[in-house]
Amino acid sequence: MAGRCFDAGMMDASMAAKVFSFISVKGDPDMDILKRKKKQRDMLALPAGVNAFFTVLLGILCILTLIPIYVIVISSITSESALAADGYRLWPREFSTRAYNFLFARGSIVVTSYQNTIIATVAGTIITVLMVGLYAYPLARPNFKFRNFFTFYAFFTMLFSGGLVSYYMVTRHILRIQNTLLALFLPSSFSPFWVLVMRTFYKSNVPSELIEAARIDGANEWQTLFRIVMPLAVPGLATVALFSAVGLWNNFFNCLLLVDEAKYYSLQFTIYTTLNNIRFLLENADKMPGIVNIAELPSQTFRMAMVVVTIGPIVVAYPFFQRYFVRGLTIGALKG
Amino acid sequence: MPGIILAFKDYKLVKPPADALIKNTFIHSLIKSPWVGLNNFKYLILPTNINVTLTYLRNTVLYNLLFMVVGLVLSVALAVIIFELKNRFLAKVYHSIFFLPFFISWIVVAYVVYALGSFNGIINNFIVPLGYAPIEVYKQKIAWPFIFLLANIWKYTGNGSIIYLATITTIERELYEAAAIDGAGKWKQFLHITLPHLTPVIVLLQILAVGRILGSDFDMFYTLPNGSAFVKDVTYTLDIFVYTMLYSSLPLGYPAAAALVPSVFGFVLILITNAIVRKVRPEMALF
Repeated sequence: MAGRCFDAGMMDASMAAKVFSFISVKGDPDMDILKRKKKQRDMLALPAGVNAFFTVLLGILCILTLIPIYVIVISSITSESALAADGYRLWPREFSTRAYNFLFARGSIVVTSYQNTIIATVAGTIITVLMVGLYAYPLARPNFKFRNFFTFYAFFTMLFSGGLVSYYMVTRHILRIQNTLLALFLPSSFSPFWVLVMRTFYKSNVPSELIEAARIDGANEWQTLFRIVMPLAVPGLATVALFSAVGLWNNFFNCLLLVDEAKYYSLQFTIYTTLNNIRFLLENADKMPGIVNIAELPSQTFRMAMVVVTIGPIVVAYPFFQRYFVRGLTIGALKG
Repeated sequence: MPGIILAFKDYKLVKPPADALIKNTFIHSLIKSPWVGLNNFKYLILPTNINVTLTYLRNTVLYNLLFMVVGLVLSVALAVIIFELKNRFLAKVYHSIFFLPFFISWIVVAYVVYALGSFNGIINNFIVPLGYAPIEVYKQKIAWPFIFLLANIWKYTGNGSIIYLATITTIERELYEAAAIDGAGKWKQFLHITLPHLTPVIVLLQILAVGRILGSDFDMFYTLPNGSAFVKDVTYTLDIFVYTMLYSSLPLGYPAAAALVPSVFGFVLILITNAIVRKVRPEMALF
């Protein structure tokens, strides 16, 4: 019986000794071993009480985590009068979806911002993936003479930068991209963090034998890159793409710094100014049909509805992409 | 990089003449402006400004330390607990939910703060009928450290726990089994097996975090208070300070100098921390 256990790889000598002592005392030896195995596997589990406690605790924390989103959504479908009378509530007195009717009316500022943000996200993601993927690839090839220099160069910018003023000056006065769509995605397009992650990914997923074999078969560098390496690199690049896309979607700072004209606003910036700036709203009253009277603030439910459509795509797409996010982070982290 | 040069010059706008080599006004002005050495940095420590600078410095450092410590403890705790839960389906669901806030931008959180904490917000609707005085977060300084801490935990705990969770999954089960047989309880197993395995990752991430100790999450500190001037003393950090300097009528050299300080300081701090780590445990050093 102990022999069978050794074969199963479940036990070592000390365990086997303990099992032996039990077997000689109890009844049917085989049944005992089954029971013993099960108990030993459960030996590492949490005690039932502690497990239940943590399960419930995490459940409560999850609900608390989701409450902010819940608050926004429920406020957006509250009727305006209930909001004015009772203020914000977890469960409003009266429901209404009127805010959404106005949301995508023609010419609304939300539509413009949505377009800008979508363009910026798509273009920015493509550029980021290209730049990161192409920059990281030579760094992963051992016979690239300058790879230490370029790795350090990218890494150095993670640790040290010229600061806000540098950023402002370079983008505004040298690159001159203020008040263009480029401002929304170009500055964020190179990320040294992802370069390092991709470099690790290339190193661990593209064996050098493969590249040598391609070289022997007569492929030049470009063919090696596009035909052999890129298909293998797709999971890593997909992770970079996903994180870049989300970062670009949520980007607020580029717009804050570089864009003054309303027609280039990104979505985040639009909802920020809506939260903050009454003057902005009055000036753009014709683009926001949610206002009945110019002297009034635009309805609060309208603002909440704006926020909902901002986080909507992310929350909806999240369950589908979530494991790619996790996988991507762990790929970079474990072997880096 | 031009910003670094800006910090040491007294920037004056000089239009390039028509026959100049460098047509770009900014670069031309930058080259022609006089060097002033460290004068621009003195602006920060002028007697009229020193209190303000010190206040914002205090805010930045304290918030960063708070986030570093609390964030680390909670992320590791979350990773360990999620790993140990018996119900794997629930564990996956929980993990997904905790990771979600990372993808939600700070402006949305600013709205939530508004909906919860403003005068007719949800919190007031709960506590006022119970007889407590209503809160008005945009006027009360005391609330903001808690708000920022909660917001930071909400957003980053899930994200931070992923790396630790991944590391924990690579620890061999036999170690735990051997420890359990030798009589170690779950807590001892955590202290002597899990934690030592996590230490390299923790050290690496903390070295990088130390380099950002004078920086801050601009989006959070800027958008959450919603421009409220009442709470400036507890919500402004150095980054926001530089930002306001940039948009004021100050000479450009001043914010350039102010922006350079966190970078240099953080860089030096990383070098020092890394050197210390290298002396104690060379394999955990960053470089």
